[in-house]
Amino acid sequence: MPRPVAIIGCGQTKHSSRRRDTSQAELVAEAAWNAMEDANVTPEEIDAIVVGNMQGFGGVAQPDLWIGDWIGAPEKPVMRITTGGTTGGAVAQGGYYHVASGLHNIVLAVAWEKHSDSKEAGAVTGLGHVGFGAQMNLLRCGMGTRGFIATAGVGAAAGVAVYQAMHYMHRSGCKIEHFDMIAAKSRRNAAKNKYAHLQWPDCTPEDIAKTEMVAYPFRYGHICPASDGASALIFAEGSIARKKAKTPAWIKGLASITDEENQIMSESGGGIGVLDSSEQIGARIAAQKAYKMAGIEDPQKEIDLAEIYQPFPSQELIFAEKLGLFDEGKAWIALEKGETDINGRMPCDLSGGVLATNAIGSAALQRILECALQIMGKAEEHQAPKKIRTAVAHGWGGSTNYNTVTVLGASLD
Amino acid sequence: MPYIKEERKETLSVEGEWAYGAYEYKANKLLDEFCQGLKERKLIGSLCPSCGKVIVLPRAICGRCHRKMTERTTVSDKGTVLSYIVSPPMVKGKYKMFGVDPVELGIVKEGESLIPANVRFDGSDSPFNTLILNAKPEEVNIGMRVKVVWKKELAGNLSDIEGVEPIRG
Amino acid sequence: MTKRVAIVGYAQSNHQYDMPVPREDMVFEVVRGTLEDAGITREELDTIISASTDFLDGRTISGVFYGMAAGVYLKEESRVEEDGTLALYYAFMRILTGIYDIALVEAHTQGSVFNPHQVSFYTLDPLFDRQFNLLNDIATAALQARMYMNKYNASEEEIAMVAVKNLTNAASNPHAHRKMLDITLEEVLNSKLYYDPIRELTMSPISDGACALILASEEKAKEITDNPVWILGVGSCQDGYIRDRNLHKLESLQKAAQRAYEMAGIKDPVTEIEVLEVSERFAHEELMIYEALGLCREGKGKVLIEEGITRKYGRLPVNPSGGALGADPVCATGLIRVIEAAKQIKGEANGYQHPHVCRALAHGQFGLCAQKNVVFVLGGE
Repeated sequence: MPRPVAIIGCGQTKHSSRRRDTSQAELVAEAAWNAMEDANVTPEEIDAIVVGNMQGFGGVAQPDLWIGDWIGAPEKPVMRITTGGTTGGAVAQGGYYHVASGLHNIVLAVAWEKHSDSKEAGAVTGLGHVGFGAQMNLLRCGMGTRGFIATAGVGAAAGVAVYQAMHYMHRSGCKIEHFDMIAAKSRRNAAKNKYAHLQWPDCTPEDIAKTEMVAYPFRYGHICPASDGASALIFAEGSIARKKAKTPAWIKGLASITDEENQIMSESGGGIGVLDSSEQIGARIAAQKAYKMAGIEDPQKEIDLAEIYQPFPSQELIFAEKLGLFDEGKAWIALEKGETDINGRMPCDLSGGVLATNAIGSAALQRILECALQIMGKAEEHQAPKKIRTAVAHGWGGSTNYNTVTVLGASLD
Repeated sequence: MPYIKEERKETLSVEGEWAYGAYEYKANKLLDEFCQGLKERKLIGSLCPSCGKVIVLPRAICGRCHRKMTERTTVSDKGTVLSYIVSPPMVKGKYKMFGVDPVELGIVKEGESLIPANVRFDGSDSPFNTLILNAKPEEVNIGMRVKVVWKKELAGNLSDIEGVEPIRG
Repeated sequence: MTKRVAIVGYAQSNHQYDMPVPREDMVFEVVRGTLEDAGITREELDTIISASTDFLDGRTISGVFYGMAAGVYLKEESRVEEDGTLALYYAFMRILTGIYDIALVEAHTQGSVFNPHQVSFYTLDPLFDRQFNLLNDIATAALQARMYMNKYNASEEEIAMVAVKNLTNAASNPHAHRKMLDITLEEVLNSKLYYDPIRELTMSPISDGACALILASEEKAKEITDNPVWILGVGSCQDGYIRDRNLHKLESLQKAAQRAYEMAGIKDPVTEIEVLEVSERFAHEELMIYEALGLCREGKGKVLIEEGITRKYGRLPVNPSGGALGADPVCATGLIRVIEAAKQIKGEANGYQHPHVCRALAHGQFGLCAQKNVVFVLGGE
């Protein structure tokens, strides 16, 4: 068994579509320093740093080499981990492994995104570049502008999450109205989270339903923003954690499973082997492994709160089911019953989730951060009223084939 | 949108325009093989000698078996719709995709929707990304049977497949 | 936590410019190669860490499309976006936790896809340095070379001797890219000038290449092989950005080496380590590396090269494989050094094998002027 590791401090910046009041370095420093302050540690006490962002979007290659000086990196081991949408989760898990290995005692993990620095029209179009080389090959083989625009153009606007959502709606009975409910819930929850991006205090499903359809079944109001922002965590080994934090958020279990490519194409424009991208076998296996490590046998009973990575409302339902928090195909019924509200059995994304705040590099780390805040009782206005003993954080990324699952707890047993 | 907006003082912006320069990507030759097959209205897929899975468009490596997909097979040009997207009805001047107007380009008629779909051809184990043609959005459903709409003059490239249309009757 | 972790298998490609295959094939070959070398199946792997960068690969989330080739299907996988030695460090940590027993580490770059020197331009501070459009990795290395030469009275000839040594060494290494058996000092000093004093033959070539190795915990390592190469010590350290650090010496390498030596129980590297494999992107860096690793006093790197101490069969060989000057597939370079060091311990370095290697050192770097450095100390039984 690895030695116990806990989160002792969390730091974030305010997320918005254009943080033109700060440079990339200062934005990252803001989150890092907030985390160190929250953890009651000085930069000298940090043994190692783990960082991550999607460098293509900000236009700076290996930004940690430049930004390092702002976050106390000189003379320390620094590791850069980047895995698409799960970057934040992979960075946080990297921070965990740094401490659990026994080689380091206090580690800073920071992840961020600053889209507004580059001319890229935000996260969604930038992601089209995942298949850059492959798309070039398709064009070379005569795909033509028509075919390219028709298939990549419509899909890119709402992301390939549309195909996934259609699969889910078809087999579960979920309707577009449920997406309206989730989007509205996200905007309302975000209004209670001072760091979130899209904050609309009294948003109703009807407000969302009034927005224009982008590509059925996704409306404009269902789509996540592209945010500038950073978030950071401080990990510490057991005895230090107990000294520094009143209620450390212990890492009880974690897993990061990669499936085959789930969407559109593979290298050189070839095909893929997954017929239903809502199956998410990777998410299921990751959840099983993380729960096993955490000693959780019945997630529906033993998990108190979840932060699901849901840039699209369909994914709050799909992944919550894969994480075993609801029966297969039934998450939308639980939503109707209010089970995912702040007072419900399984509060989901009380922070507003990725639907409200999406700084790509940081979003998956924020899910872990929000779970930690709830366990530590520091979530302020969006703190769940019941005691949070165990929480699960999730992230997905890549060609919807990366999944990270992290289980946090208020105590080690 | 009645979202809460925060006002922040902007700091100095330093502009810069740097061309990224040309990337020279490498690709394998499998798509060229596929295009050869199109001349005879054949859809060639790669077959994994270990697990037997058939992938269209052909790919080099089977990730599950960690083996090269060295064999080839032909799949039917009839298949089933796995999933699809319905764009809003296209209006000239309103939507730009990758900088072009789809109505102006003649990809779609004014008022019509684009329906990209994932289609599983009979004999294949993979989704093929294409457009559903000659069908109204209300007619399309998951599980619908479709067949390839071939270009009249086959050129041996990917545009030979114009899309798929519902098999009626 | 005194767990022991060993390298139990490895493979690398034949590095060259413009390999006629896409990444997928290149990665597949080395991963298959290392599984065969270790004699285990993909199913037995517990975790996989790869190293590559989006900018060099030419697409965002570049891990997605080579993942299957790297054998990651339904495995615990992650990707570091820098030199392969960082991926090795991460995999090492994962095994130390006890959660995993066997890890695969893979690293690759195809330099021919996007010129790495152009990518280095994008690592510059966008607010200030980039605005002048004057610097890139070669230009900053030239500044560093001049600072070093001025401070310690090192000459261009002494730097060129490093190039002669490594390019000649590369000729015996079947995997190396730039093999120049009969290269002379004059030819090096007359090669194309980039930024004074950096020349074509005193800087690494642009290579396409990949490599992979397998790590195992002590118990599994002993099941897999009779010849495990133990990781005795590791150290990683990042320096400040080019404008905010001392360029005339590699302080982060010094600290990384100190950490690795301490962990490995090495008091004097000169007497306790038999072979060293270091990542010298520029010939002058190797002299600075000698000093940072404690092989000689500050400023005396030139003595080691002049007296032939670090030549292929010298008293303290450095880069018998040819080093980065022999082949530099960017992200793979550091991990290749680890493999070459392990080869020496296993006695598999045909053509450039040093007799009786018990301890070897491997070094990887990343960033302008070797801003971050990782050192591994390896040992046989």
